[in-house]
Amino acid sequence: MTNDRKNRKKKKKFKKFRERRCRFTRLGVEFIDWKDVPTLQRMCTGQSKILGRKRSGTSAKFQRTLKQAIQRARYMALIPYVGS
Amino acid sequence: MYPYEGMILVDPVQHTADSEAVEKTVKDLLEKHGAKIHQFERWDDRRLAFEVKGHKRGVYLLVHFEMPGEGVDTFRRETRIVEVILRQLVIRLDTDIPTHLERSAAYYDKMREDQESRRAARDGRREDYDGQPASMVEAT
Repeated sequence: MTNDRKNRKKKKKFKKFRERRCRFTRLGVEFIDWKDVPTLQRMCTGQSKILGRKRSGTSAKFQRTLKQAIQRARYMALIPYVGS
Repeated sequence: MYPYEGMILVDPVQHTADSEAVEKTVKDLLEKHGAKIHQFERWDDRRLAFEVKGHKRGVYLLVHFEMPGEGVDTFRRETRIVEVILRQLVIRLDTDIPTHLERSAAYYDKMREDQESRRAARDGRREDYDGQPASMVEAT
């Protein structure tokens, strides 16, 4: 019984850690394209705010490139400044 | 001459009326400022995320070109005068154009792969779940 509970806890921790890794580093991309609307939208909240690093797990380097890409896409009206 | 990537948003009404004329004005304007066009691509008429100069839809033209640095500023200024152009974005590339196109092709391949693997993982999880709750699956 106690053993089961311990195992469950371990599993939970592991899962959380996996989710928090930067997906751009994992994919090994060289840059983030500002024309890639689906990816940019996935990195935004429903109100079109950029997801924070703590929430998305993005590395510092890619968070900077992501910001650049989102700002460019917003200027060209590809993604909204303020979501509906 | 430096490599640039430009995206130009044009009036969809005028573009559907006479697409060749609109594209020619854009090309001529670029060439007037010393641009050498490598690739010219058109994105179909699509809904904009917000209204731009009173338009809810727009046609995007994606151009990869080489241009002397002085030309960019004057080009940007003149796009404001041309009526068909609603908005413009010119970005200096850090690699030459063939390399950039290669890199972006590789980028989209990776993104597509990732999306497919995500979909597969999600569908797989659903199949596991079918019929009995997740805890039951673990127990057996």
